[in-house]
Amino acid sequence: MTDETLARLQFATTAGFHWLFVMLTLGLAPLIAVMHTRHALRGTPLLERMTRFWGQIYVVNYVLGVVTGLVMEFQFGLAWSGLAEYAGNVFGAPLALETIVAFFAESTFLGMWIFGWGKLPKAVHVTLIWLVTLTAYASAYWIMVANGFLQHPVGHEVRGGVAYLTDFGALLTNPNAINALVHAATAALMTGGVFVAGVSSYHFLKRTAEREFFRASLRLGLFVATPAAFVALYYGFVQIPTLVDTQPMKAATLQGHIDDLGSLRVEDVQAHLVQRFGAGDYRPPAWIATAFDVMQDAGYLIFLLVVVALVLLHRDWYLRFRPAAYLMLVAVPLPFVAALGGWLLREVGRQPWAVYGELTAAAARSPVGSMTASLVLFCGVFLALAVADVALIVRYARRGPAGTDLGGASGDGQPERPASSLAL
Amino acid sequence: MTFGLVWPALLGLLLAGYFGLAGFDYGVQMLTPCLGRDDRERRALLNAFGPFFLGNEVWLVAAAGVLFGAFPFLEGRLLSGMYFPFAAILAGIVVGNAAVQLRSRHRGASARRLWDGLIFLGGLVPAVGWGLVTGRLLAGVPLDARNVFSIGPADLLHPFVLLCGATTTAVFLAHGAAFLAWRTGGEPGARAARAGCRALLVAAVAAAAVLVTGFLSSARHALVNPWSALATGAALVVVLLTGAALLRAGRTGRAFAATSCAAALPVVALGAGLHPFALVTSGTPGAGLRLAEAMAEAGTLRILTVFAAVMVPLMVLSQVWNWWMFRDRAGRTRTYL
Repeated sequence: MTDETLARLQFATTAGFHWLFVMLTLGLAPLIAVMHTRHALRGTPLLERMTRFWGQIYVVNYVLGVVTGLVMEFQFGLAWSGLAEYAGNVFGAPLALETIVAFFAESTFLGMWIFGWGKLPKAVHVTLIWLVTLTAYASAYWIMVANGFLQHPVGHEVRGGVAYLTDFGALLTNPNAINALVHAATAALMTGGVFVAGVSSYHFLKRTAEREFFRASLRLGLFVATPAAFVALYYGFVQIPTLVDTQPMKAATLQGHIDDLGSLRVEDVQAHLVQRFGAGDYRPPAWIATAFDVMQDAGYLIFLLVVVALVLLHRDWYLRFRPAAYLMLVAVPLPFVAALGGWLLREVGRQPWAVYGELTAAAARSPVGSMTASLVLFCGVFLALAVADVALIVRYARRGPAGTDLGGASGDGQPERPASSLAL
Repeated sequence: MTFGLVWPALLGLLLAGYFGLAGFDYGVQMLTPCLGRDDRERRALLNAFGPFFLGNEVWLVAAAGVLFGAFPFLEGRLLSGMYFPFAAILAGIVVGNAAVQLRSRHRGASARRLWDGLIFLGGLVPAVGWGLVTGRLLAGVPLDARNVFSIGPADLLHPFVLLCGATTTAVFLAHGAAFLAWRTGGEPGARAARAGCRALLVAAVAAAAVLVTGFLSSARHALVNPWSALATGAALVVVLLTGAALLRAGRTGRAFAATSCAAALPVVALGAGLHPFALVTSGTPGAGLRLAEAMAEAGTLRILTVFAAVMVPLMVLSQVWNWWMFRDRAGRTRTYL
């Protein structure tokens, strides 16, 4: 493997692990915020237990999102220093703003939320989880602005081989960022909803005692997942015309052609790009078309499943019809598979460019030697931690609400603390 | 331009905040396996930093963001040039951060012991690593004509650089001990105070050795302002000795204030020693990458300044609020970690 391949592999591994966990973080946060708000308004013990149970899973999942995110933040400078040299004036700004506008607050407030049970006034505690949710999505926005610039560089001019920011507004409203953000954010919401519905279905199948608890969870999960899946699919298609305009090669690789007649094929686009950018191979690997198909098919399947499940909520048919619960359980991994397909398509499909049309990945690479050692180190650490983390998530999910640690009570299955522990 | 003042100051503030806050995390992480005799005690020690833990580490993320946004022409050079130590520090932080948060999610004793080992390692590696990086930056790096450099593990085996690593390790250890002495009561708190006194004396000796080696070795020639760096180093020794005296006298809160200053002083030493440079050449004195050359263009900085003017005070306020809400000594808050 070439050094460039190793560097790209290290980035892909970091980003891949990061997004798999962050997607569930983004998906669960609003659901938990809704549960916590309803609990604060009505004060029912069921809603408090729901908040703590799903919150526990959320917090365990958050760990991996944060640690991989930290490495992501440094990955640009470590392995792709050419990116800062060329586009630092433009690309660095959204990344800086992500940290100071969003992520700093998200982490601070989440720490307070975790330890705030029974300590903070109810209104403050609920406000914290909403702030965590809000800043998480704000983070996603700034990251997509940065990524959107790599996909379709706007709002800048190049002087003396260095990019200068000329139109901040164009950077913030880059269609390649906004449409992808809506797509990814709704896919995350869908993931959260399907996850909650899937775990709930597990408890129906096991006939655990927590029927009412998981019935309420299932309903909330499906009410969020169904519209989210629809919007995610819709905003997948919305991106295609932009793709044809801004990255014709990626579009041609996916569809075989980029015009309605089918006459502009990959070879034609290649010839056109050679004319525009000079000699070179501008074709991404053909397997990105497979990645696209996997994402699309998984998306359709999830949409179908959640719509059927939503219909079955009528008169609690869902709880009596066991195949539905089995299907929902099987559906839990699907959004993650779809998301990996989507990111492979987006990132590998952009090759050979780091900044589309302006800076190749080869030119962006840091002048460091082989990254084999650090690749093995980071892959090993991430894999081991991810396995440990997922095992814990599965354990908490299976134990049910009686085995939740968050909130301090019932560490060993004692009865829950009364809701009064949250009183003002 | 005032940008030349504001942005280095903000980067310094974020880095100093990171050293001062995550510094005691790393200290507590290194101390927990030794000071906590059983699982209950170890949990009590970890939960002392519980509500602040997520908020402490994030200062590093903010510093990295500002480094990229405001100093893009330093970011790539610095991180890729010091690829090896930064990769090691990051891996250490990743492991330690996950271990702290996942440790008590397991109920088995052997799983918790394994995580305890990783908690220790995750405190030690960044504590040593940041000292090595600070030392190497002070002693200069082998910059080429394009101000690009690359160092390997061997470049860290310089006596001055190694002593810097030993100093930050002892300082963070003492900082964690002072934090525990201040925030936890009972026997573990008393043990932390005793450990803190010893660590502070070791740190003072190490810091003094850094000063002596710095002036005897080639490190001095790279520094732009050797006297400011010397003054900062001397201040570090004084602050460490003061901290030891306060801790011995049982003034744990003030001792923690002293160790907080001590933990942040390496960042001050970098700024004081290198200004107006960001990177200096180890070979030729008075040459290197100037901060002004490392910064983003004025248009970008103007936009960032508007956001920072609003957000940075809010960021600091959010953490002040966090400390205020959880100002009670540990034990009054739910145990989670």
